[in-house]
Amino acid sequence: MSEFRSPYPSYDVLDKWDSPSWNDQTREAVGRRLDDVPKRHFLTAEQWSLLEAIVARLMPQPDREEPVPIVPWIDDRLQKDRRPGYRYAGMPPMREAWTAGLAAIAAECIDRFGKPFEELSSEDQDGYLTTIQNGEVSSQFWSDMPVQCFFSELLLKDVLEIYYSHPWAWSEIGFGGPASPRGYVRTGFNERDPWEAEAADV
Amino acid sequence: MLAPREPEPSHRPLIPVAAATLVAAGGIGWLLQRAWKPEGDINHRAAQALSAGAAILCASVALDSALEHYRGKFKNRAMFVGPTMALLGLGAATCLAFRPDRAKDRLPKIALIAVGATGLIGMGFHSYNVLKRPGEIDTLNLFYAAPVGAPAALTLAGLYGVIAGEMLDGSDFVETRLPQLTAGLIAFSLLGTVAEAGLFHFRGAFQDPAMYAPVTIPPLAAVAIGAAALSPRAADFAKPLLQATAVLGIAGPIFHAYGIHRNMGGWYNWSQMILQGPPLPAPPAFLGIAAAGLGLLPALREREH
Repeated sequence: MSEFRSPYPSYDVLDKWDSPSWNDQTREAVGRRLDDVPKRHFLTAEQWSLLEAIVARLMPQPDREEPVPIVPWIDDRLQKDRRPGYRYAGMPPMREAWTAGLAAIAAECIDRFGKPFEELSSEDQDGYLTTIQNGEVSSQFWSDMPVQCFFSELLLKDVLEIYYSHPWAWSEIGFGGPASPRGYVRTGFNERDPWEAEAADV
Repeated sequence: MLAPREPEPSHRPLIPVAAATLVAAGGIGWLLQRAWKPEGDINHRAAQALSAGAAILCASVALDSALEHYRGKFKNRAMFVGPTMALLGLGAATCLAFRPDRAKDRLPKIALIAVGATGLIGMGFHSYNVLKRPGEIDTLNLFYAAPVGAPAALTLAGLYGVIAGEMLDGSDFVETRLPQLTAGLIAFSLLGTVAEAGLFHFRGAFQDPAMYAPVTIPPLAAVAIGAAALSPRAADFAKPLLQATAVLGIAGPIFHAYGIHRNMGGWYNWSQMILQGPPLPAPPAFLGIAAAGLGLLPALREREH
């Protein structure tokens, strides 16, 4: 994996906290993401640690002392049963899909490697996740779950969605947070408003 | 069956805002008119009013184009030309308005001709900006690309200044066709500015009824001063209409300041809204044109005798 370097090394979106870019509504919403990280309610401790290990491979955060929390928000979604409002044909409802998917991963890893996913080497973990992505898994564990759909549309999408909802991730990609109250004036290609992040030459 | 939904009534204090704005603008206009003491004969007074009008037009263009070109990041170096030439025009026209005795100087005249030419070239640039975009001449580009009509204000200012210079050079112009032609030019200026305001107020969906004012009163003033060119008696109708137009030119920035307040984040978010909200420096163009017209009316009236 190539090393990632943010084009915005000195940019911190949280510097906008008291600026006209953000208002009370913004501060409240972003503040919740920063401070009110949910506790485990829905997943079992085993499911939680397995998901932590999977997330660490899908969205590695080696350069962060404290990683952006992802698993707590997936758990929160499941606990509240907040579904996205659509479901792919053949996919079970959200809660069942997650539970069945995690169970299948746990069981298949024991079967293939003789030890749980969490204890595999990073290479084996990546290798196994790739077989899920390619749909090359054993139906003995997955029954009729559309495996590739589970990987791309549920697992990967939720992980990325939650990661990029966090202000630390916004700083990394130079995103200014909610365009409310202050939005964008210069909307053409390669145009930047004075209150937007400026990319460094990297 | 669902009952048809009535739109939610507006809670904006539109009537008090409009009333306060118009009273304030009327007061400022009255003070300006009192402070305005041109000297000399009818020729001189008309010339000075034309110069003052040119100066106001140039000031409006200088601020407005600086703001809008800043929004466009001065992407093209030529975008510095508009505001710079507007400042030059402001200087030359102010010089004519306050030092009419120096009208024979060549410098202000050359400057004003250059400013007028800049307006024509600017319209060329802005037309190119519209035409190079996908869709070419469509409402989207007329709304959001460079405004085609805006640089024309510089041309008008240049013309006003040049005409003022001619009037100040000592000859009696009341009996020539110059006042009539100038009245026609002013009528045309008003209609052009109305078209510009109309386009952008339409873009803004006339969401405040006050936005109809600059597309109703100035066209009447244009017709009246046009008529005054043909029949001196029409000048009596033209005067109140031009005064009303001038008041609108003063009221405009106040209304626009309220518009900025109404936008997301209001004045606290000024760094965005001064660019994205209604343009503060644009409406005084009406004041400039109306001032020129008001100054010209006595010369038009005089033709009767």
